[in-house]
Amino acid sequence: MSTSIKQGLGLLFMIVILGSCQDIQDEASFDLSYPAYFPEPHYQFGKNKLTKDGFELGKSLFYDPIVSRDSTISCSSCHFQGHAFADHNSTLSTGIDGLKGVRNSPAMFNLAWNTSFMWDGGINHIEVMPVAPITNHVEMDETMAKLVAKLRSNAKYNAYFKQVFGNNTEVDDQQILFVLAQFMSLLVSDNSRYDQFRKGLVEFDEEENAGYLIFKKYCTQCHAEPLFTDFSFRNNGLEFKNDDFGRQKVPLLDDDFMKFKVPSLRNVEMTYPYMHDGRFRTLKMVLDHYSTSLVPHENLDPSLKNAGQIGIPLSENDKEKLLVFLKTLNDYTFISNPLFGE
Amino acid sequence: MKYFNFIIVLIIFSVLGLSSCKKEETVTTKTSGDVGLDIEHVWGSAEEEFILNKEYTHPLTNDKMTFTIFRYYVSNLRLKSTDGTWFTQPDSYYIVDLGTDETFLSIPEVPGGEYTDIEVTFGVDSLHNVSGAQTGALAPSNSMFWSWNSGYIMLKAEGISPNSLTGNFIFHLGGFMGENKVQTTKTYNFGTTPLVIDGNREAEIHLVANPAKLWHSADNLATKSSMTIPGVIAKTMSSTFYNGIKFDHIHN
Repeated sequence: MSTSIKQGLGLLFMIVILGSCQDIQDEASFDLSYPAYFPEPHYQFGKNKLTKDGFELGKSLFYDPIVSRDSTISCSSCHFQGHAFADHNSTLSTGIDGLKGVRNSPAMFNLAWNTSFMWDGGINHIEVMPVAPITNHVEMDETMAKLVAKLRSNAKYNAYFKQVFGNNTEVDDQQILFVLAQFMSLLVSDNSRYDQFRKGLVEFDEEENAGYLIFKKYCTQCHAEPLFTDFSFRNNGLEFKNDDFGRQKVPLLDDDFMKFKVPSLRNVEMTYPYMHDGRFRTLKMVLDHYSTSLVPHENLDPSLKNAGQIGIPLSENDKEKLLVFLKTLNDYTFISNPLFGE
Repeated sequence: MKYFNFIIVLIIFSVLGLSSCKKEETVTTKTSGDVGLDIEHVWGSAEEEFILNKEYTHPLTNDKMTFTIFRYYVSNLRLKSTDGTWFTQPDSYYIVDLGTDETFLSIPEVPGGEYTDIEVTFGVDSLHNVSGAQTGALAPSNSMFWSWNSGYIMLKAEGISPNSLTGNFIFHLGGFMGENKVQTTKTYNFGTTPLVIDGNREAEIHLVANPAKLWHSADNLATKSSMTIPGVIAKTMSSTFYNGIKFDHIHN
């Protein structure tokens, strides 16, 4: 081969490599990144191509009340970053026309690992999740058809969607749901003190360690590390209230009485009140429930029974240590990350 | 460097040449054509023309019914060729809607040839009930999607009736998994004459559907005027309707 041909081929290769590097770099900064000790995410994006523009557009929609019937309620109305995207410590959230829902707004993080959505798991895919709050009559009370029409006639969004999906496309349900899924999926909470401990950056102190041991003994059957939930549905011995049968009333699931999703305990201190209906104001009340106040429903989860005894055998001292450990799950980087903020 | 430029130009041209050759190949293969699938709607055993906003009397329950909405999903259309192979329409989802007269479904670009059967799925296959955000007929904006328990409403029948205690009836039938899954796949044989597609004629398949069949094994409206969740009732009502859809004739 002559030198000039070699040089030429070299140049060609460089162009190819540089070109692909550029792509990789752009996508890398907007990939779903997570620590090595996290499992593989459940949501793999598929046809939904993750881009910075797509994520940013999803974020705009998340913070914009345009998604509600009368432009008064945005997703962020009930999912506030400062509380790890749970509500502002309301028991039940307030939707359109001041109407109240029946369940406590869940926090939003590490959603790409969720296998289903809502307290009863009735929603089977992250992309169709937003259809529920958008169309619910006590939340945003909008129709998807009207939302599509509003966004098409909105100059800012019309241009924004074309920037993400191409000039020859028109805003449709799928585009809206794709970008919202991009925003939601990237809400990764992985920098709590617990995470720094897992990464070997800090040591737990004596009390944290003691709490961690108690946690591993009694709590990880359901609140499995490192996501602090196993995404299962269980009857956790709550008093039956307000005709809420949980998963039993979801036709396609047709599960047992009062089964609800095991929530993640990450950021748990800032997402009070607790349980599907927000009935407990404090974590101490939750621990008291599990140790002494369980209702012995026939299908009470087996992990809450110990040698014929109902309830987790926790001393007051154990509870104090557990509360110290639970604070290590607060992720202050996550709740202040400007990437996720309005 | 002159050689180098020449080689680069050669490479570019040959790449362009190759890719354009490929495109031509796929365009000029067969004389494909569109097939129309027309679903005619009739009422009761008398098979009178069925339209919205007209009062009918149900032959079995004697309920007087005026329909305001009648819509249902048809999907996964396939055509069986005389050589035994199947043409499967890609991305095959339709909403039959009597409100907008969308009862004539067009199957584009069916390869040229002779066909003996059509396979139709009434409802939406389970895969597309669990695959996230969709477009077209499957977009949630068609109001044929349950948001709180993900899945498609496979059939909507709504209207007014003096026999209902509320004055209305509302049936949203669906459920895509388990023993009460609603979607039903049926095959219709065209008989002795095959459907011919050669790009020069309008090929049409005509089916007849009878909405009265929804209540062939169901309670009257005084007993039950509403059903909006999956389950055994949705399964029973939808299957008597789907199984009552019959082949009428073809046009070549």
